[in-house]
Amino acid sequence: MAARRNNPSGIVPTIQNIVSTVDLDCVLDLNHIALHSRNSEFFPKRFSAVIMRIKDPKTTALIFASGKMVCTGAKTEAQSKLAARKFARIIQKLGFPAKFRDFRIQNIVASCDVQFTIRLEKFACTSHGAFSTYEPELFPGLIYRMKQPKLVLLIFVSGNVVIAGAKKRDDFYTAFDNIYPVLAEFKK
Amino acid sequence: MGDAYCSDCKRQTEVVFDHSAGDTVCSECGLVLESHSIDETSEWRTFANESADNDPVRVGGPTNPLLADGGLSTVIAKPNGASGEFLSSSLGRWQNRGSNPDRGLILAFKTIATMSDRLGLVATIKDRANEIYKRVEDQKSSRGRNQDALLAACLYIACRQEDKPRTVKEICSVANGATKKEIGRAKEYIVKQLGLETGQSVEMGTIHAGDFMRRFCSNLGMNNQAVKAAQEAVQKSEEFDIRRSPISIAAAVIYIITQLSEEKKPSLKDISGATGVAEGTIRNSYKDLYPHVLKIIPSWFAKEEDLKNLCSP
Repeated sequence: MAARRNNPSGIVPTIQNIVSTVDLDCVLDLNHIALHSRNSEFFPKRFSAVIMRIKDPKTTALIFASGKMVCTGAKTEAQSKLAARKFARIIQKLGFPAKFRDFRIQNIVASCDVQFTIRLEKFACTSHGAFSTYEPELFPGLIYRMKQPKLVLLIFVSGNVVIAGAKKRDDFYTAFDNIYPVLAEFKK
Repeated sequence: MGDAYCSDCKRQTEVVFDHSAGDTVCSECGLVLESHSIDETSEWRTFANESADNDPVRVGGPTNPLLADGGLSTVIAKPNGASGEFLSSSLGRWQNRGSNPDRGLILAFKTIATMSDRLGLVATIKDRANEIYKRVEDQKSSRGRNQDALLAACLYIACRQEDKPRTVKEICSVANGATKKEIGRAKEYIVKQLGLETGQSVEMGTIHAGDFMRRFCSNLGMNNQAVKAAQEAVQKSEEFDIRRSPISIAAAVIYIITQLSEEKKPSLKDISGATGVAEGTIRNSYKDLYPHVLKIIPSWFAKEEDLKNLCSP
C-alpha cells in the first residue's frame, strides 16, 4: 500500500493504535489459559476475559470464553494481523483447536500536528458548528464528528489533531485532507 | 314572575320566583314547583379601581402548556412539619393513586424550580429548562439515566441558550449528588437527543470569560472601576494565545485586578471560592497571563509602575 501524500501541506497522520477482532471459532477454558501461560491475567470478578500481552509486536489481547478475541496496541495493520496470529498460535499450543476466522480491523487511531495554533471558538461558531462540540470546561479539545467518512477528530489549540474511528487507512487520509483547509482558515 | 304549568291546578298559572329560598311557587295554589334553584348571577362585585392583586374571577395558578391537562388537577400537599407517616394515611394514599400521567414531569419541574431558586435564576430560564426536559422525556430512551444529572444538564443548557451561562461547577453546587462528569455526559446526551428530534436546531455559543465576569466580581464585592477594568482585560486577553479554560482566565484576571487596586484584596482562597477555580489553577493561569499583563490591563486603571510591583509568579 503506497503512502498517499497528495496533501499540499505534506503532513501525513501517523497511526498510534489499531484495534482488531478475530474469531478463534472454539470454546475456550479461560482458567486453563490463565494458569498455563506466563503473560496473562484473569480476574473473573473484574472482567470476564483473559488479558494477554506479547512483546513483539507490543500488543494486548482480550480473549473471551466464546472464542472471540480483541487485539489492541499495534501500530500498523500488518502488525495487528501478525499479533493476532501469534495470540491464536499461543491458544493453539495450549491445546485448543483455534482457527483464524473473520480478522477485521475495527478502529484505527491516528494523530498529526498541523504546526499552527487554531482558533477553536471561531471554528465552532461557523457552518461547521453543526458537527463540532467545543466545551472548554469539559474538555480542552474540539470534538468534530465528520459524516463522510464517519469518524471523530479531536482538534486542539496547539494544532495537534487526533483522528479516531477509521476502519481503513484511506478513511483517515481522506478525513485529514478534508479538515486541513478548514483548519488553515482558522489559523491564529 | 312568569308562567309555568302547575301540576295541581292543571293549567298555566302565574309563578313567583322566591330568591331568598330559591323556590318557584305557583301563585294560585302555593305548590312549590322547583326548589334549591342555583343562582347563576355574579357572586361578588368587581370595581374598576380595585387592586389587581386579588382578582376573584381567576383561580389557580397559570396554565402550564407542558403538562398534559394544562395543570388543572388538584394535588393534596403534605402540610409543613408533618412527619413521614402522614403520607401513608388515607389522604396520602389518595394522592398517590397514580392516575396522574404527569407525576414524573411535575416532580421534575419541582426539582428544576428548586435548583433555579438556589441559583437565583429568572423564570425564563426555569421555563426553558422545563421545556427542554419535556422534549427529552418525550423520547423514552432516557429512563435509565441519572435523573439528577439530567435535570441539572437541562438547567445548564437553558442558561446557555439564554446567553447567561453558568459554570458546570455552579450547577453542580445546587444539583444534589450529580458530579461534573455526569452533568457533562447528560448534557451531551440531551444535545444529541434534541438534535435527533429537530434536525440540529440546538444553538449554543461557546462560553467566554466575559460572560462570568460580572457575577464573579460582584460575588467578591469589587467596586465598579475594578469590574469595568476586569471586563476590558478579559476582552483583550482573548487575542493572546493562552491555553486555559475561560473560567481559569477569568479568575486569574480578577486576581490581577484585585492585586492592583488599593482596596481590601481578596486572597486566593476567596477568589477560588467565588469562581470555583482551584488555587493552584489560578496560580498557573497567572503565570500564563503574566507576560502579557501590560497589554491586557487597561491603562486608565493601573500605571506601569503598579504593574511592575505585581509579584512575579
